[in-house]
Amino acid sequence: MADMPLVEVKNLKKYFTKEKGLFAKPQYIKAVDDVSFSIAKGETLGLVGESGCGKSTTGRTIIRLYEPTAGQIIFEGTDIAKLPEKKLMPYRRDMQMIFQDPYASLDSRMTVADIIGEAFDIHKLGSAAEKAEVVATLLDRVGLKREHASRYPHEFSGGQRQRIGIARALAVRPKFIICDEPISALDVSIQAQAVNMLEDLQKELGLTYLFIAHDLSMVKHISNRIGVMYLGKLVELAPSGELYAQPLHPYTQALLSAIPVPDPAKAEEKQRIMLEGEVPSPLNPPSGCRFCTRCQYRMPRCQEEEPQLREVAPGHFAACHLLDR
Amino acid sequence: MNEKWKKVDRSSMPTAEDTRPGLTYWQDVWRRFRKNWLAMAGLVLVILIALLAVIGPMFSPYSYADQQLELSNLPPRLAITKLSDGLYAYVHKEFKLIQVSEDGDVLGPVKLIDDDLVLRTRTYELDGKEIKFDYSLANKKGNKQKFSDYGYNYRIFVDGKEIDPTPVKTTQNKTFVLGTDRLGRDMWTRTLYGARISLSVGVVAALVNMIIGVIYGGIAGYEGGMIDNVMMRIVDLINSIPLMLIVILLMVVIGKSGFGTIIVTIGLVYWVSMARQVRGQVLSLKEQEYVLAARTLGASKSRIIMRHLIPNALGPIVVSMTMSIPNAIFTESFLSFVGLGVSAPQASWGTLANDALGAIRSFPYQLIIPSVAIAITMFAFNFVGDGLRDALDPRLRK
Repeated sequence: MADMPLVEVKNLKKYFTKEKGLFAKPQYIKAVDDVSFSIAKGETLGLVGESGCGKSTTGRTIIRLYEPTAGQIIFEGTDIAKLPEKKLMPYRRDMQMIFQDPYASLDSRMTVADIIGEAFDIHKLGSAAEKAEVVATLLDRVGLKREHASRYPHEFSGGQRQRIGIARALAVRPKFIICDEPISALDVSIQAQAVNMLEDLQKELGLTYLFIAHDLSMVKHISNRIGVMYLGKLVELAPSGELYAQPLHPYTQALLSAIPVPDPAKAEEKQRIMLEGEVPSPLNPPSGCRFCTRCQYRMPRCQEEEPQLREVAPGHFAACHLLDR
Repeated sequence: MNEKWKKVDRSSMPTAEDTRPGLTYWQDVWRRFRKNWLAMAGLVLVILIALLAVIGPMFSPYSYADQQLELSNLPPRLAITKLSDGLYAYVHKEFKLIQVSEDGDVLGPVKLIDDDLVLRTRTYELDGKEIKFDYSLANKKGNKQKFSDYGYNYRIFVDGKEIDPTPVKTTQNKTFVLGTDRLGRDMWTRTLYGARISLSVGVVAALVNMIIGVIYGGIAGYEGGMIDNVMMRIVDLINSIPLMLIVILLMVVIGKSGFGTIIVTIGLVYWVSMARQVRGQVLSLKEQEYVLAARTLGASKSRIIMRHLIPNALGPIVVSMTMSIPNAIFTESFLSFVGLGVSAPQASWGTLANDALGAIRSFPYQLIIPSVAIAITMFAFNFVGDGLRDALDPRLRK
């Protein structure tokens, strides 16, 4: 029982239908295509990949903002992928999300107290006095002042707004938080603060994170394990230290080589793997391995057969034919 | 030493209770609205017009339907001619004498003894004096205009002696403040009564907009997909039927034209543009992250629409609503103009303006009065709408 993961995603698929013509066959954008992973309690799983690879869609599908096309989302032993909204309510308290854009994620018509307290009203968690008290403690917890409660979001800076967003997510006392690029919209000087606060909160409250980002160095810092996504597929999943030390998938290698090195002398000798071409359209992904159009090691087999994600080393999964030897 | 930089003890810091009390959203809106003097002027005007419409007719000695044919077409400003000591008259443009007091009270028509249509003279009797009114100089078809020695196209004889018909003064008509119309009905009372009808039509349009339009558009926009498609095709359907056709069909169903028909018509039609606008707003707002955040908290559809989407779309809604009020007033005037609206003796600003059209050259005041009333009302509503739009947006908060 102790080893049971908090969240387990099995063969998750999310296809969006493209606007179909009158006689045309509907086309699907395979934003998330057969992704499986699990997150243990108290763990942080980082999810990286370039824009449009489906990492945000994965997060939003897990929290059921999108209806999954297929697959299972098992939260504490219950499959919530197909639960109707009413039965989902208790799980809405266990899972929360922190959004990317602190300017768009707070309703500008509501005061901070209303925003943080909204969960209180929705889940009928207590009286108005209790609500005010909880809002005040949450504001303390995320490093804002109690008197900020009566203000509107536009009176705050980006970093402060993100703290309000975090306080809102914490209001229901969740076990699992999906952080959808929570710091990429913040000023660099504020990013470290936000990340440290998320880490502190994780320690204090025993939270589990799914951390979606494209800043590789920051993901390495916060995550226990990291998943790399490419065109809706998970191509590599490994403990963060190992992923950085020994990337196995050619795409991961290319990604890691793109991290800038703050030392010009070292940067000189570092070989940047340049990827050819653009990301193929998810409407019409390449056959076989999705990365084969841009991979420098591609073989004839790559275009015919899709590589499966398999355990290459203990805890280290990758999907590439090169590793079949 | 400078004490300014000494570290402050945390306990002496102001707590939440000591800092300024938080304003509620609407208190804040009102605070910002008050600062906008143009909007405040508009609001005061709207309230004034509404008050006048509701209680004004109660204080008027005339009803909107009372006719005094002999006192028709009296202007608001009277040019008074002195007949003899203590006797004054207003020379009506229709070559009639109306007895007035020196201060501008209309005392009534002068008693007519003889009306000679051949010689074109009228003989009146007033206070024992015989007054002969000779309008034979006035333009007859084909003749050249002639004038008397005093420079007028008519002459007045009191007991056989010609007097100077030049007005001794021009005063305000004290009996009929805004004059009378062609049937001798008091324009002030009719204008106030018209305000009742016009404002009721405006209020109905606003209510329908607010209730049906906003909720309909909100649901269509939020649900999206098939539901949105069906709901918007219904809107297209309603929009594609000409307004006139709807009114005529309704008249057949209801059985008569009148205020009720207009209210029903505007109720049926006026929410359509609002529904479209709200739908568009909601479509763009529902993908905002704060809506997603509310959904992850488990907020219901109605909560998201009522608490998040509509408040955020309130600016355009309010502006559109205030625009729809003068629009509805115009529609009502137009329908009354073509005879599909309120029927005589009821008066709306539209019918008043229409009645005045026939005599626009002789009695322009009859057209000016309802036009000014419409213009002032529209300005007032537009100023209020603009002010509300600014006040409802917390981002403009200073």
